[in-house]
Amino acid sequence: MLTPLLLIPAVGAIALACWSGCSAQRARSLALATAGTTLLWTVWLFTQFDLTDPGFQMREFLPWIPQLGLNYDLGLDGLSLLMVALNSLLTWIALWSSPTTLDRPRLFYSLMLLVSAGVAGAFLAQNLLLFFLLYEVELVPLYLLVAIWGGEKKTYAATKFLLYTALSGALMLAGFLATVLLTDGLDFRYMTAMGQTLPLVAQTILLGCLVVAFGIKIPLVPFHTWLPDTYVAASTPVAMILGGVLAKLGTYGLFRFGLGMFPDAWALLAPYLAVWAAGGVLYGAVTAIAQKDIKRMVAYSSIGHMGYVLLGGAALTDLALTGAVTQMVSHGLILAILFHLVGLVEAKVGTRELDVLNGLMNPIRGLPMTSALLVLGGMASAGIPGLMGFVTEFLVFQGSYATYPIPTLLAVTGTGLTAVYFIILLNRTCFGRLDNAIAYFPKVSFTEQFPALILATLILFLGIQPNWLVKWGEPTASSMVALLLPRSVEVIAGDRAPTSPVALETPADLSHKALPIAVAGLKSLP
Amino acid sequence: MITETSWLIPLYPLIGALLTIPWSPGLIRRTGPRPAGYINIAATGMALIHSLLAFNALWNSHSSPQFFFAPWLQVADLNLNISLEVSAITLGAVILIAGLNLLAQIYAVGYLEMDWGWGRFFALMALFEAGMSALVLCNSLFFAYILLEILTLGTYLLVGFWYNQPLVVTGARDAFLTKRVGDLVLLMGVLAIYPLAHTWDFRELAAWAQTAEVNPTLMALVGVGLIAGPMSKCAQFPLHLWLDEAMEGPLPSTILRNAVVVATGAWVLVKLQPVLALSPTVLTVMVAIGSTTALGGTLISVAQVDVKRVLSYLSSAYMGLVFIAVGTQQPAAALLLVLTYALAMALLVMGAGSTILNVITQDLRQMGGLWSRRPMTGLTVLVGAFGLVALPPLGGFWAMLKLVTGLWAGSHGLLVGVVLAVNAIAAFSLARFFGLMFAGKPHQMTVRAPEPIWLMMVPMMVGVGFTLHLPLVLQTLGLMPDFSTLNMDMALALTWASIAGFSLGAVVYVGQFGENPNRFIPKGLQNLLAFDFYTPRLYRLSVVLVVDLLSRLTDWLDRYFVDGLVNFVGLASLVSGETLKYSNSGRFQFYMLTISVCVVVISIVMSWHYLPDIFTAAFTLMN
Repeated sequence: MLTPLLLIPAVGAIALACWSGCSAQRARSLALATAGTTLLWTVWLFTQFDLTDPGFQMREFLPWIPQLGLNYDLGLDGLSLLMVALNSLLTWIALWSSPTTLDRPRLFYSLMLLVSAGVAGAFLAQNLLLFFLLYEVELVPLYLLVAIWGGEKKTYAATKFLLYTALSGALMLAGFLATVLLTDGLDFRYMTAMGQTLPLVAQTILLGCLVVAFGIKIPLVPFHTWLPDTYVAASTPVAMILGGVLAKLGTYGLFRFGLGMFPDAWALLAPYLAVWAAGGVLYGAVTAIAQKDIKRMVAYSSIGHMGYVLLGGAALTDLALTGAVTQMVSHGLILAILFHLVGLVEAKVGTRELDVLNGLMNPIRGLPMTSALLVLGGMASAGIPGLMGFVTEFLVFQGSYATYPIPTLLAVTGTGLTAVYFIILLNRTCFGRLDNAIAYFPKVSFTEQFPALILATLILFLGIQPNWLVKWGEPTASSMVALLLPRSVEVIAGDRAPTSPVALETPADLSHKALPIAVAGLKSLP
Repeated sequence: MITETSWLIPLYPLIGALLTIPWSPGLIRRTGPRPAGYINIAATGMALIHSLLAFNALWNSHSSPQFFFAPWLQVADLNLNISLEVSAITLGAVILIAGLNLLAQIYAVGYLEMDWGWGRFFALMALFEAGMSALVLCNSLFFAYILLEILTLGTYLLVGFWYNQPLVVTGARDAFLTKRVGDLVLLMGVLAIYPLAHTWDFRELAAWAQTAEVNPTLMALVGVGLIAGPMSKCAQFPLHLWLDEAMEGPLPSTILRNAVVVATGAWVLVKLQPVLALSPTVLTVMVAIGSTTALGGTLISVAQVDVKRVLSYLSSAYMGLVFIAVGTQQPAAALLLVLTYALAMALLVMGAGSTILNVITQDLRQMGGLWSRRPMTGLTVLVGAFGLVALPPLGGFWAMLKLVTGLWAGSHGLLVGVVLAVNAIAAFSLARFFGLMFAGKPHQMTVRAPEPIWLMMVPMMVGVGFTLHLPLVLQTLGLMPDFSTLNMDMALALTWASIAGFSLGAVVYVGQFGENPNRFIPKGLQNLLAFDFYTPRLYRLSVVLVVDLLSRLTDWLDRYFVDGLVNFVGLASLVSGETLKYSNSGRFQFYMLTISVCVVVISIVMSWHYLPDIFTAAFTLMN
């Protein structure tokens, strides 16, 4: 059931690569069809997913090199499901939004599909070596995607990305190998690694190793400098995949392997992680304010937003971890729409400079629809309620406030600063007077707008009806928090740990009446 | 029965707003944008009718407030329910909002006749109506926060309606950011109160507050967080500048904004009053902020030459009085004040707009002599002015009297003085406003200024009717303060304060005795007031400067330190490789020497532990 998620894009990629007489148009259609099939398969997985089971479902096992402990072992839980869905959706959308006038279209589409297959496999892998393998595998196509189709300084950016991620992979491998070898075995199954009983010191060191490894991928300040360069140099679809999906590989790995394998050490390091997260939020937001290039601004906003995910993971509560998991999804969608729109502006207006752009809201000669969507995307990123970003950030804040009040409040300040740079962005690009002398922009066709419309609909819908998002991640998040030994949580959180909510002694006159129809209740999930 | 469907009321304007979408990006061009406006007027009309029917049903059945809920989100141990309160007060507020929005929208049809952004404008007005009706109906602090934040976005878009003008853009920016600062501090309060009270339901919060025992420092911090949101909404010092800049937005939206949108903050404040009362510090802070803004706002309003700015500072000032009312624990007086204020302010703004539209200028100094040309507008402004300040028998008098009576009974003598002074200065400012506009001889700009189109006159006249009949309405609804409880001395003092303010203003500006009434006032004070206590400069030198410098500093660090370090590592490895390649001499003997030296060193290092043993062994052998 899970293999098609890897197999369909991989087969599509190989077919595209081998079909030498294929026209650009046909290559695009084939790639979209492949990605669309994967997306449909993912939707079908949602219908088959059992919400009552917090563990791994739909296991698939195939011995590969058992001598090394490397086996093809896949499994799916709520966290993986959401990540896989994000990957399938954004792959399709990124393919749709790639320009029709590409050089070497077959290679481009086939590399994109390869990345998708690799990432899907990494999200599903139940074997540490398999995860590592797939994590490294999609590095090569991404390097090529940035280095061939990128913009200015593309080779510099691609090399920087390659070196950083390779370092991240090396550290991760070191962490995995040490974990398994220290437990006297050659069993790289995730389940076995979860049950390790290493001394706390060893755990902490190994966790530190993994945190740095995934911290490079996420990225966390100060390992982030590859990100603005790479995101800016990458073309729009590649930036959407990089920011929307690849960054999640870092947070996913952090939660799955860091939190999952070393819960005790995680609880020990959590307060520092929370401070780090708040610092990252502020750093990303403040740096974004000073940017003059809108794509770079969005790139820095991504750094800030990953801080909320880390904060949610560090807070050791169900609510915050659910928030963190869902924040990963909402960050992916919001970043994708922002990169898409910024790419559209660049393609039509020909510049990304804040000081040059102006008045795009103009209904006749500007890009009114793009501007409207940009307002929506920016506001979603700034956490305006009614949109998806708010719900997930709020869950993180509410969940982590009880454990870490000060970092949480700092992170809330971060959302205020986020609003500052998005207002700067919107005021400079969408508002203002359009210069009539240069305003001969090509019209934005519906096809070009389409991906943004889909993402905007999702952002709005999941903002009003967050149950549809939260339900999938919640059981897994709860089971992960349950791994944390109550003792260690107590030690770390001390008396600030959330006491179970005491029901208010409701006086008799506080009667409530359920509305005849549920305004927003999601009665049952399929 | 109809009360149970009250949750539909905010949905009418929302549906209206959604229906305008085809006109906003110009998908439908053939009809022009006007249908968008008519759809929204119809939707608002439906909301008004529904709320009137519901109010009537509730009133006739004498039923107590009804509470409803619908589940929204359940995560972990957090259960978020949309909870609604349907009572005479909330429905009354909804009627006020829907009614004023209906008037403002009809007014806009006339005022924005030639504008091309109808779709956007009416959709945003509808969004405001929906948000505000939902806010007054909702019974949960969390959803109140959500709605306030959505309204913040609405303010940004509505103030930025004419987005190609630079002042509009900065006005929209400042409005958004100022309100957002308040909202986020409110969010901090919302986050912080949950672990204490375990609820966000206003009723349960009130019940909790009766018996709560919390750390006073913590409660003071939480309380200050909670009042920050209302502070920014109500344009209270020091978060008041946005309202002044928001005057760059289209005038019909100003009717709604100055009359009811600023009052959303006051509403939340009233709802939170039991919680805020837990901390005396918070109450003191509220009273201090309210008094500062009320006094400062009225004084600044006297020194403004822009028609709309005179009114915007009066809005801040009256909201300051509401802060005083809630700070001295008189929520009923606060609500009454909001009601009377909303109607009177709507009239004043409508009158101002009617003048601006065909006088072309907003500068009071260029106006004058309009009375003979447009008596109905003059009447509107007069009724608005009388309704706003405490002049019997109009609504403002009863609200102020209730407030002052409460203040006197609570022995807040100083605050009574503040309210009286604010009342007198407001009366003076309004007399000046009226005098500069309508009295004297016509100036160049006002020579040709007929009354505007009926679409604007009708809302104005309806508003005049309501303002004049407000005392009767209050009487019928039993909202009129009981005569026996009112302090007659205070009533006299209030009336005299208003009369004094009005007469002084009338003498100076309507009668126009003397050349330039400004010459008695020192220049520095004039400028201080005219430039709003230099608040823009204050902002620029504090918050804006800090954020700006910080962002540049981190950007510099990011580029040259963090990334510089990384690039240095990269460069260093390249350079070291390049340099080392020159040490290859190619001579076999040199390589052999290197290898043997290294082997020796390595063997010494590896046998380091055993070296002492070897030495001891050698030593013993020698001996």
